[in-house]
Amino acid sequence: MTHSTLNATGHRAARNSALLLLFAGTFAGAQKPLPAASTTLIRNATILTVTKGTLQNADLLMEHGKIARIGTHLSAPAGATIVDGTGKYVMPGIIDPHSHSMIDAVNEGTLSVTSMVNIEDVLNPTAPAIYRELAGGVTTINVLHGSANTIGGQTITVKLKWGEPVDSMIFPGALPGIKFALGENVTRKDNPPPAGQERRYPFTRMGQEEVLRDAFTRAQNYRAEWAAYHAAVAKGAKDLVPPRRDLALDPLVQVLEGKRIVNVHSYRADEILMMVNLARDFGFHVLIQHGLEAYKIASEIAAAGDGVSTFVDSWGYKIEAEDAIPYNVAILMRHGVVVTINSDDDGRARRLNVDAAKEMRYGGLTEDEALRTITYNGAVQLGVQNRVGSLEVGKDADVAIWDADPLSVYAKVDQTYIDGEKFFDRQQDLARRDSLVALKAQLEKAPENQPPAQGRGRIVPPTTGGSK
Amino acid sequence: MQTFLSLRVGAIVALAATLAPPPTAAAQASTRSVPETYAITNATIVPGTGATIAQGTVVVRNGLIAAVGANVKAPADARIVDGTGLTVYPGLIDAFGSLGIPAAAPANGGRGAASFVSAPQLQPSADHPVGITPEVLAVDLIKVGDAEFNGPRSAGITTALSAPTVGFLSGRAALIDLSDESVDDAVLESPAAMAMSYGRGGRGGGIGRGGYPGSLLGVFAAFRQEMLDAQRYGQWKAMYDRNPRGTPRPPMDAGLEALQPVVNGQMPVIFEANSAREIARSLGLAKEFKLKAIIAGGAEADQVAADLKAANVPVILSLNFPQRSAAASSPDSEPELLSVLEARVNAPKVAGKLARAGVRFAFESGGLTNWADFLGNAGKSVAAGLSASDALRAMTLAPAEIFGVSQQTGSLEVGKIANLTVTRGALFEPGSKVVTVFVDGAEIVPQAPANGRGRGGMGR
Repeated sequence: MTHSTLNATGHRAARNSALLLLFAGTFAGAQKPLPAASTTLIRNATILTVTKGTLQNADLLMEHGKIARIGTHLSAPAGATIVDGTGKYVMPGIIDPHSHSMIDAVNEGTLSVTSMVNIEDVLNPTAPAIYRELAGGVTTINVLHGSANTIGGQTITVKLKWGEPVDSMIFPGALPGIKFALGENVTRKDNPPPAGQERRYPFTRMGQEEVLRDAFTRAQNYRAEWAAYHAAVAKGAKDLVPPRRDLALDPLVQVLEGKRIVNVHSYRADEILMMVNLARDFGFHVLIQHGLEAYKIASEIAAAGDGVSTFVDSWGYKIEAEDAIPYNVAILMRHGVVVTINSDDDGRARRLNVDAAKEMRYGGLTEDEALRTITYNGAVQLGVQNRVGSLEVGKDADVAIWDADPLSVYAKVDQTYIDGEKFFDRQQDLARRDSLVALKAQLEKAPENQPPAQGRGRIVPPTTGGSK
Repeated sequence: MQTFLSLRVGAIVALAATLAPPPTAAAQASTRSVPETYAITNATIVPGTGATIAQGTVVVRNGLIAAVGANVKAPADARIVDGTGLTVYPGLIDAFGSLGIPAAAPANGGRGAASFVSAPQLQPSADHPVGITPEVLAVDLIKVGDAEFNGPRSAGITTALSAPTVGFLSGRAALIDLSDESVDDAVLESPAAMAMSYGRGGRGGGIGRGGYPGSLLGVFAAFRQEMLDAQRYGQWKAMYDRNPRGTPRPPMDAGLEALQPVVNGQMPVIFEANSAREIARSLGLAKEFKLKAIIAGGAEADQVAADLKAANVPVILSLNFPQRSAAASSPDSEPELLSVLEARVNAPKVAGKLARAGVRFAFESGGLTNWADFLGNAGKSVAAGLSASDALRAMTLAPAEIFGVSQQTGSLEVGKIANLTVTRGALFEPGSKVVTVFVDGAEIVPQAPANGRGRGGMGR
């Protein structure tokens, strides 16, 4: 049986194949992640370090999951896999700061504050989007839920380790996040409630600010309540009923304590400014998501030290996006804002390199600046710049090998590595397509896949007579 | 064709029971129109523990197994059932479902649970989540009788775990014998387990229709909050019991009260989980709150067998195997994914894989409508590599062990409950037939179900 052959070929070989794409759902969980044992030397490539310039005819060594050496004429350690990089471009794995990939649920929008929900609970490690994004050179994504309510829920940064269990995809050490949403998605402008049901508060942007301030005020009180309890216990109080753990307020306390990144879905300058001010009042920073009008208040955002992750274009696709301009990224960057572009979409996530290239046309970013908006700056926004985002010795070996300059529309990804392990290989994918077609044809013929009428004769005529 | 053993006997007994004053055991027995002592002679006996007895006798008396063996003599007062050509098995257990519980009213935008408890509709909030009703007891909902139980009895099932079906933390299941007596008489164990189903929570698409939680995201959060609240409730009550003067008294909460044995790790939680990731998530919740978990459904349990074994979590595997619909086979329909085709082919293999991996498992009917598929699909599992003895065990002793009732049921041993399944032909062989069943010592001859594969009647 071909399926058992798949299992027998082992974890690593299998995950490099499109077979898994079609077997989505049959794989995750049981297999333990392999130790990062692979050693790979890429030779004679153009290396786009992003932070330290571009190296021609250079080598990059991946060992023990890290970038071990970058240079020329590196010697290969024993047992290393050699990849001929002649004519190829090596760049850091792309970071997508706004993804809705691999989730089994999008919104818990029933209440205005649902900070108790956590996207980590509904991650699907078998989602085909993971594999497709690897094929676009993406290695890290910030997984967010939707934007139906003011305080949505908890978010998580993930490495796209296709074929591995969810637990080993969670970016180790990365701060968790939370997502807020402002504007018309929250007011449900285009989604009125069904007849007989009340419209969910808030109806306006004013109300959204009130929801946020109220929630953080409650979080402050909650934190104080727990502090008082712990202080009393420390002083020897016995049989004191503890305060109720409130899963909605716990993550807001973490925000107040700087232990959770705040993503804010927002479009208009007025709502962004409100958020920047509110965050300052409560002592935290925000990562402005979308922010299509952020250019209007670039100085204010820069002064607050907040980040922006935006679309490279998408002008006018909804009322809130009416004032979007393709120069948003460039203006923000020139004002000193750490800015990225993101996908917000499984399809777009595969072409973030092309979106980055547009910034060179609209705004005159340099090649490195354009690449930063899909790599290093994302790492900074997600607090993982010491681990990923550029090709530097000691960083995680999250690397994509392209067959042309990735800022060209003609560029395709040959191979994608995470922690030094190969998770995508275009040649292996192409090689397996015929066998997949054959497997599918074989499965179609299996008795289990015949419709009932042609199958097992399960329609039994009613019995006649009987004693009843 | 029925002969001397009418299906309606049970109904008559039940009617008599409602008219008569509460009977003593002897008086109750005397109202029965069926003999209380049976001897099935000359039958092949597969006791479920120990070796098959090629030719022997099973004696049933007062609802219990009085004797089993090759050299057992039928007592003088016993009605003799000639078992020549028949095989006697322990009564089969359908280890998860909702037998006897009327179907829930169609979900109306996720308000099912709220309307079910018929409480005034609370404004949805994080403190009043929809679909959490741990206080509900299946025994309060179960209707016994022929209409409910003939189908499963035609498949040889004498015992079933039945769980409430409204909401996601829907309430407490009962293990019942499929007798026609009152539900009180039918109960073997109640409450036997808490039922949790992700799929029944979070209706409404998450955008406000039907209350919190409206999505799978919210189901997890509401479940967690409920467990934390139950832990605190228990802690608070213990403090109050130790020191009633000076401790504010905890407010009475039937749901949190019902969850005490759950958060204390005594009562199992049955997580309905089919995909590998649903199972992994369930194992995660169980670990997080130190719950005694059972997985029901388990379509992809083979993919997480190592994790299930490591956590010592049993699986109640559904025999409702996926089938291709006629529509899905139409040339006009979208081609099916390879994974969907593969899942159908894999379904009969899962049980054997779990057995080989050392995962404890039982079988459930899983909502199948054609009761003949219960044994038919188990037979396919045997054909796909599961041993017949493991298949039998998964319908008898294994579920009895999972629910802690293996002292009194699950095999043909003296003193155990007289639940028997009598077949012509070996249980998992094609063409075998369930001839009759004994439930709590009473013979009940199943009728052929409307769309069943065979006639259940007295083939002998």
